[in-house]
Amino acid sequence: MENTSLAHHLILAGLLFVLGLTGVLVRRNLLVVYMCLELMLAATTLAMVAFSRFAHKMDGAVFVFFVITVAAAEVAVGLALIVALYRRRGTIQSDALNTLRD
Amino acid sequence: MSPDFSSLVHWILFLPLGAALFIALFLRRAGAVAAWLSTGVAFAIAGLALRLLTAAPGDTRWHVELAKLGDISLGFGYLIDANARLMLFVVSFVAAWIHLFSVGYMKEDPARGRFFAGLSIFMFSILGIVVADNLLMTFIFWELVGFSSYMLIAHYFDKDFAAAASKKAFIVNRVGDLGFILGIAMCLSLYGTLDFAALKDHAAAAKTIPAAVGALLMCGFLGKSAQFPLHVWLTDAMAGPTPVSALIHAATMVAAGVYFMARVSFLLAPEVLDFIAISGAGMAALAGLCALAQTDIKKSLAYSTLAHLGIMGCAIGLGHPELALMHMAMHAFFKATLFLGAGSVIHGCHHEQDMLKMGGLLKKMPLTAATFIAATLSNCAVPFLAGWYSKDAIIEAAWHDGHFAIFAFLSLAALATCLYSGRMLRLVFLGEANSEEASHAHESPWTMTLPLVVLGLVYSVAGGFLASTLLPAGSLQPIKPALDAIAFHLTAPSTIVGLVSLVVGLLGALKFYGSVRGADALQVISPRTYHLLEHRWMDGLYRWYVDAVQRRVSEFIAFLDLLLINGVAVRWIGGGVPAVLGYLTGRSFHRGQTRAYALWIVIGSLFLAWFLIAR
Repeated sequence: MENTSLAHHLILAGLLFVLGLTGVLVRRNLLVVYMCLELMLAATTLAMVAFSRFAHKMDGAVFVFFVITVAAAEVAVGLALIVALYRRRGTIQSDALNTLRD
Repeated sequence: MSPDFSSLVHWILFLPLGAALFIALFLRRAGAVAAWLSTGVAFAIAGLALRLLTAAPGDTRWHVELAKLGDISLGFGYLIDANARLMLFVVSFVAAWIHLFSVGYMKEDPARGRFFAGLSIFMFSILGIVVADNLLMTFIFWELVGFSSYMLIAHYFDKDFAAAASKKAFIVNRVGDLGFILGIAMCLSLYGTLDFAALKDHAAAAKTIPAAVGALLMCGFLGKSAQFPLHVWLTDAMAGPTPVSALIHAATMVAAGVYFMARVSFLLAPEVLDFIAISGAGMAALAGLCALAQTDIKKSLAYSTLAHLGIMGCAIGLGHPELALMHMAMHAFFKATLFLGAGSVIHGCHHEQDMLKMGGLLKKMPLTAATFIAATLSNCAVPFLAGWYSKDAIIEAAWHDGHFAIFAFLSLAALATCLYSGRMLRLVFLGEANSEEASHAHESPWTMTLPLVVLGLVYSVAGGFLASTLLPAGSLQPIKPALDAIAFHLTAPSTIVGLVSLVVGLLGALKFYGSVRGADALQVISPRTYHLLEHRWMDGLYRWYVDAVQRRVSEFIAFLDLLLINGVAVRWIGGGVPAVLGYLTGRSFHRGQTRAYALWIVIGSLFLAWFLIAR
């Protein structure tokens, strides 16, 4: 642990975040987009736990547990929505879902 | 150091509020309980007010600051001087008996809970006006009184005429209150305070008071006390239940305007006083004559109230607010009795209000008839009855101060009073029954006759005597000098006028209206005169004003609104700018692609982050 600093953690978190963001922006499959969104959330969570670790406080770490719990619930809802969408429309390609355009 | 009665006043003021809230929250469906709770509270207040009236003299002041805006302090407080004590007693005593009367009168009413909650909230409001020590607090309670009056007039809200009458009363009062609040603003800007005592000091220090202050404050009085030209609402307000007419539209609320004018009399410039005196005297005479052309017993009494309010206004205008207050007190007693008597008659005749259909009730309703006649004689100012002490004093004051035109008007008013009183007695109580209802009339239950007996016999007859001798002189400071000022000898002009109009008016009317049966004698003999008095000229004027002037103006403003706001601002600018921008850019933004929207979110977030960091 001696040769890892806050910067290392933040750079890793930043890379993960940008990776997720890129996926959200370029992929068309909503399931993949959703996975990328979760990656972004995980990146921010990582940054938060790193801050907590290097501030020598446990508050942030505890908070992260809550974030993960809520995220799990949110994933359940989100995946259910995607499944429901597929059943109704027969596709989860985001470009096909443009009924509200006009 | 004068004794401190603030805790007593707390009780007097907040007991009715508590009763009203309790009824509104818990007793909406328990009408009988609500009625007795409200009545009990009213009697408790009357007892406390009597205790205050007979307590050691001296002003009680109590004040708590609610808000401070710059140098201006807004607060809630009491100023209990001799006038306030008298008014507190009159209001609460009359109100207590009217509450008891209502228990009997409203027995069959399904909405008794609402009615008694309304009475209690009215008590809270009117007592607030009486004890208030500053203009703002007066104004707040003034509006509360307006609200409770509106609510009680509209008690039978499913009847169109009651709903319309309550709306009319409310709107006409708003017209007056606009002037009132402007007057308050003017006091604030001129003197920087709203406190009565401080204002009095300022007024004493200044040589002249701007006439506008008094004129604006007077507007509130014109509305609330139904003075010309804002008197039009009072006769319509009779659409409310009879106890409401007795309490609010005869004894207390309309007198609140008189009380308020007496309270701020130091702010009234001579021009304002002259206006009040002349319009009051004129209205007294006219309204008295108009009472001759009403067949509805309550409306006839309402015109009588207008006449008496005119007389009170006149007394204020003549510079004798203490006489006005005295007449207010006497009038409260006998007019409440008259209205309650009318209520008892209406109740006895199975809700018949047309006097032409009554008759011969003297035998069927002896108690009601006796009290009604006593109060009527007091109303006519028969010597040594309550009305005589105050009304003759005012007429005498007009003569003494050399206002002969006002004296003439007041004399005419005195004659008119005797005429319509005689007519009322003749049509309602003497002769034969003129309808099925009247022939089956029955005396009312004790809850209705007891208030009549107490208010009518005790106070209408012995009010002046009690006022001048029995009660300790200290608590009756506002009345005592006025009583002493009356010339008790036969050659005084007011005595001559009073006696002549009494004999001519009362006996003449009794004989005249006995000549035709089942119809109004004046209408039979001179339909044109009758129509002249019955027709509501001011209502016609207001209708013309609203139709021809106000509607034109508002239509013009509506046109401007359509053209400028709706047209130029909303359609052209508000609709045009997005349309042009949308034409230029919109289609490339809004493609319905989730990814494109996500990109815009990212760009926006980056921009925001840059903005926050760069700062």
